[in-house]
Amino acid sequence: MSESQILLESILQAIVAGLFIGAIYGLMCVGLASIFGVMRVINFAQGDFMMLGMYVSYFAFVAFGAQMFGSAAGPFAAAIIATPVMYVFGWAVHRLLISRVTGTRSTGMEAEGHYAQLILTLGIALVLQNGAMILFGAEMVSVRTPLSSAAWFVGPFGDGMALFVNKARTIAAIISLVVIVSLWLVIRRTNLGKSLRAAADNPEASIYMGIDVDRAHRVAFGLGTAITALAGGLLAANYPFHPFVGLDYVIIMYAGVVLGGIGSVPGAFWGGMTIGLVQQLSALVLPTQLQNATIFVFFLLIVTLRPQGFFGRNVERT
Amino acid sequence: MLEIRNFVAGYSDVAVLHDVSLDVGDGQFISIVGPNGAGKSTLFKAISGIVAPMAGEIRFDGEDLLKVPPARRAHLGIAHVPEGRQVFTSLSVIENLEMGAFTREGRRNWKANLERIFTWLPVLKQRRNQLAGTLSGGEQQMVAIGRGLASSPKLLMLDEPSMGLAPAIADFVFDKLMEIRRDTGLTLLLVEQRVAEALQFADRGYVLETGRVVLEGTSECLKADDRVRRAYLGM
Repeated sequence: MSESQILLESILQAIVAGLFIGAIYGLMCVGLASIFGVMRVINFAQGDFMMLGMYVSYFAFVAFGAQMFGSAAGPFAAAIIATPVMYVFGWAVHRLLISRVTGTRSTGMEAEGHYAQLILTLGIALVLQNGAMILFGAEMVSVRTPLSSAAWFVGPFGDGMALFVNKARTIAAIISLVVIVSLWLVIRRTNLGKSLRAAADNPEASIYMGIDVDRAHRVAFGLGTAITALAGGLLAANYPFHPFVGLDYVIIMYAGVVLGGIGSVPGAFWGGMTIGLVQQLSALVLPTQLQNATIFVFFLLIVTLRPQGFFGRNVERT
Repeated sequence: MLEIRNFVAGYSDVAVLHDVSLDVGDGQFISIVGPNGAGKSTLFKAISGIVAPMAGEIRFDGEDLLKVPPARRAHLGIAHVPEGRQVFTSLSVIENLEMGAFTREGRRNWKANLERIFTWLPVLKQRRNQLAGTLSGGEQQMVAIGRGLASSPKLLMLDEPSMGLAPAIADFVFDKLMEIRRDTGLTLLLVEQRVAEALQFADRGYVLETGRVVLEGTSECLKADDRVRRAYLGM
């Protein structure tokens, strides 16, 4: 193989890796988008909801996932089982805490309650991080599946080029895509989805329509939590994690949501996908320590050129 | 259908409405007129449950409305077309109408209602897939009215449907409302600053000033009243 073909091979390999990790980032961002983008709640604990999703998946896997579904399918089954658990968790957090600083109660608060949300969710983040530290310990854990170190080989093509496609990441990416498409259909097509959008668009008018706005916000918050947690569970099958892992991802999530255009669910997905691709491609030329820096240079570039993000529409929320 | 007795309401501790009593009978068209800041919109918001009551009572079809949570009131058959239209700007026109049909009655009669709404307001049919936020003020007002009708209401409350519209468009909206009223006999409660129009077809009218009902009676009666003629009709 010539030098240029080796380069081409590594670029293709990075693109494949970027698409797969990007699909999971996209899912993560879609979860935040329904909380931050749609409901306009600033949630700094989103990364820690994800961390919790990872641990719930881990324990579901250890407790029964491995026996019931086998060690190959177990981690994915565990992540899916963690999703409704985390929906209930998000629902309850909203009911007990978040609802005090959002929705109808936030009118009259400074900055529509955003300051209060910031402090409250930072507090929740700290409690979750340190609580996880006490309960689960500081050591790294991972949900290992034999698929994590198995790959399909594509090729050889050209002059002996070959790509290897990690099985665990492929399955995780497929699950991500299925969930995103279903969520998108729910939001666009069903009465529930439309009422969530209406409640986000104009809470007062929604009450005149007979929509229970507080309930709509709880459902959206629960959905957002569950989706990000599912992304966490899927990541857990590939990456080891610890109680403070949320910090690494919450920044990626906000960057993805803003990149895609605040308020747009498909936008959030493409934002996350972009970050995955940039991260993997930058690793070709830059040392891994600079991966996150590259993401933000790229982020600043896009936001400078297109402040509304990829899918942002200015007509929305006038 | 709607009975309001000695009703007091306002924001925080400041009462905006003082001792307001008002009746809307089945199939009647009632107009409430009065200057800015008289509390007309506050009265509507109190009926819809957005503004908390301080004293008095509101009954709808004999039921104590103040005990019904705000989001349940639409389901009883009260449609509120709010001041400033308040359409869902990021939803399409048809989705706005679907949200109007969020009530059980609205869902049950969706097809028939939609057909009638499109007959009265054909522009909504043309624009059905357009985002409501991209429509003109007059078109948005028609979306707001259509959305109200889509709930199959027993009582349609309209808060200044002519606000912010060019006079010709306001006339058009008003004519449409009268056409809908003629076709359906729907009970209407209208708040309006265009007093002449508001009283022209109404069965009864109320004059609200600084949160009190200062005058009430049949529209003929009000139109003949010297104070109304001087203050509102410019005669």
